[in-house]
Amino acid sequence: MDTVTRRKFLKLTTGAVAVGAAAPLLSIDQIAQAAIDRPLPAGTPILVVVTLYGGNDGLNTVVPYTDPIYYSSRPEISYKADQVLPLDAELALNPAMKGLKSLWDQNKVAIVRGVGYPNPDHSHFSSMAKWQTASPAKHINTGWLGRWVDTQSEDPMLAISLGSVLPPLLAGAKRSGSALPLGGLVIPKGSLATECLQLSKPSKKDSKLMAAAATSMRNLFNVSTNVQPVLKAPAPVSPDLPTTNGGNAGGDSNLAQQLDVVAKLIAAGSPTKVWSVSLGGFDTHANEANAQAELLGVVSDSLSRFMGQLKATTRSNDVTIMVYSEFGRRVVGNGSQGTDHGTAGPMFVIGNAVKGGFYGEQPSLKNLYKNDLAVTTDFRDVYATVIEKVLKSPIEPTLGKWSGRINFL
Amino acid sequence: MNAQRLETSRLFDRFGFGPRPGEYAQALKEGLAETRTKVLTVPTVDAGAATVVEPEITDLGKRPEPNSKEIVPFSIALRFQSQQMGMWWLDRMALSDNGLTEKMTWFWHGHWATSLQKLNYPLPMFKQNKTLRSNCLGNFATMTKAMINDGALQLWLDGQENSVKAPNENLGRELMELFTLGVGRYSEDDVKNISRALTGYQVVRNNGTVTVNQNRRDKNPVTLLGTTTTFTGDSLADFLVARDDSAQFISERLWYRFISSTEDMPASFTAKKAFATRDISAAVAAMANDSAMRDEKFAMVKSPVEWFISACRALELTPSKLKTPAQLINYLDKLGQVPFNPPNVGGWPAGEAWLSSATAQYRIAFATWLIKQSDLRALKEIKPVSRVIKSADWLGVAEWSARTQSALRSSVNDPAQFALLALCSPEYIVSA
Repeated sequence: MDTVTRRKFLKLTTGAVAVGAAAPLLSIDQIAQAAIDRPLPAGTPILVVVTLYGGNDGLNTVVPYTDPIYYSSRPEISYKADQVLPLDAELALNPAMKGLKSLWDQNKVAIVRGVGYPNPDHSHFSSMAKWQTASPAKHINTGWLGRWVDTQSEDPMLAISLGSVLPPLLAGAKRSGSALPLGGLVIPKGSLATECLQLSKPSKKDSKLMAAAATSMRNLFNVSTNVQPVLKAPAPVSPDLPTTNGGNAGGDSNLAQQLDVVAKLIAAGSPTKVWSVSLGGFDTHANEANAQAELLGVVSDSLSRFMGQLKATTRSNDVTIMVYSEFGRRVVGNGSQGTDHGTAGPMFVIGNAVKGGFYGEQPSLKNLYKNDLAVTTDFRDVYATVIEKVLKSPIEPTLGKWSGRINFL
Repeated sequence: MNAQRLETSRLFDRFGFGPRPGEYAQALKEGLAETRTKVLTVPTVDAGAATVVEPEITDLGKRPEPNSKEIVPFSIALRFQSQQMGMWWLDRMALSDNGLTEKMTWFWHGHWATSLQKLNYPLPMFKQNKTLRSNCLGNFATMTKAMINDGALQLWLDGQENSVKAPNENLGRELMELFTLGVGRYSEDDVKNISRALTGYQVVRNNGTVTVNQNRRDKNPVTLLGTTTTFTGDSLADFLVARDDSAQFISERLWYRFISSTEDMPASFTAKKAFATRDISAAVAAMANDSAMRDEKFAMVKSPVEWFISACRALELTPSKLKTPAQLINYLDKLGQVPFNPPNVGGWPAGEAWLSSATAQYRIAFATWLIKQSDLRALKEIKPVSRVIKSADWLGVAEWSARTQSALRSSVNDPAQFALLALCSPEYIVSA
């Protein structure tokens, strides 16, 4: 597999996922209108989920830079001790993650180590499905945050994913989160508009798919007018970052664009408690070092820029960011200057309310489990904590009975 | 819904790229049995396809250094040849008299999904396309052997990096998960072991030539799915394809792409049994005769390429002559499907994935652009008074709903808008 992006993953899995309520597709205008009419009450916690598609190499993200086994296992793709950004005597961040390091220094970053689930699956598609459904043992069609949406009163603005296709993560059984395409929509006008609207009416004879085709056309028109064009306004600036270097100049990475939109809408008061954004390309079977560093740089720069943008709003203390990938990679390099699909990896939880530091046990490089890192923390411990502490909801409707928690909030 | 109209419509949509003007009405006269035979019979020489001139795709050699004088003509040639290759295939789809060969080649391209983006040379992709076409209705074991020896696939899945000293699992895993057996029908140990059996392949990137370097090859026996032996590429292909899981998997894929991407394959689906000898044409024929073809439940969304080619056939347009090819690729890209550029090794999605507001918007713009370049001959030949009803035959639509008839009726005197509404209607976007 070359690059796995969220869009690509979704394309492959939508068949399995589109069983819930059809995902409403929002226009920016609708969200803007909602932000004005019924803004999120001040102080309401907001969760931003960042999905890294393709399987991020955890060992070159949070690097065990003093462990000789790290160097002997992957001589071609290991980072030297003087390149990395040390966090303590054993672990360091990838050299490209300076932005995140600075947030770590401010105690705003929790790193949960060795996260995964029992009986790791090495298929991108299966493993990502397990993470997003939070059901490692059994294939189900709802995402964990989709099930949370099910427990809330109906509101298309409650959980929003950036991009035109909804990730399984936000698919519920009764309702789903909404999808917001970047770039907005252009609507036909005049008599063509009238006839397109006619075409988009439901027909009794429609099959499920024809009805969906009609709905897609209808949604195109389902846009309120005369609203504040929130998104045409410039993104909030990050007061504490220089605006000239790459860090705050944005670049054109899609993750930065997605987070820009999220920052604007949070600033505008969108009644949204869950945001989902993503970045793909982490499937580094060959020539890993540069590719991964570039992507991690995008993650780190985009997130620190986003945190900076929030500072200019009244909601900077309300936002918690959670970063994950479907698996880590093999400890031993594969000889193609890359790594094959592995198991456990680190998760990042970032925010002003987060108690910075390490959580979970660092998987041993010496005692591997079937040549892979052992999973030391179940992702449901993290999810359960987020559901209780950020979304202020009982966990049982979403995760069932689950006792594990992590004390990062 | 009229049963004959429904099944005839499906035969055109699913086993080809839709009817040309007049073909659907003619098929209704000839009856289902004859139509089915026609659709399934690939002519020795396809006169329509023969009018498409094969592009000259050459070995462009090693990529020159960045900023060198040679890099400019190299890049121009690379871009030009890649575009020519794309237009050539789209033309074949649009102009073939019998659509089955191109439809099957298209299916296999999505199955062994390989992208030009990583390869960055058109020649290996061109060779792969020919391999897929020549095997598209042949024996699946033969096809699998050819694909293990396909330079584009090997490069795409890092096969040339896979050696006895440093196994790389990319190709081995996908060979089982996505190409021959299906996910979950093997263990992680099998992935490690199959990867050892696939070591040693070397590929010349610029032309896709494959060789096996014995020094890089792991010659020890491996245990794969319970069998311990030293595999060659050929014996490995035979071994995988002979498994019952392979028949199950390929019939599931055929079901998913030809019959229904939303409903599960029933155990009674006849294509699986017909695939017993791994003869693809037998499975395809069984599928065309299967009772599922008559069941209204099994609608399919046309993928963007299928929708576009069907429109070209109805509008009598040749893709490569559209102004301009770059604009055409841009529209296909906006809809999310460009030949030779699948999103990943899993191929393209199906079903509702193609139905978002964003695609509705792009489809309207795309259709407007196409209609401007067509003289709309076939539509204009239908008198306005009967245009609404008869246009269903023009496009091979089984039945217009009252909703769509109403929209069309208001535009009977405006052929361009009429065509636009028809092409963007739910009944045309979805194969009933």
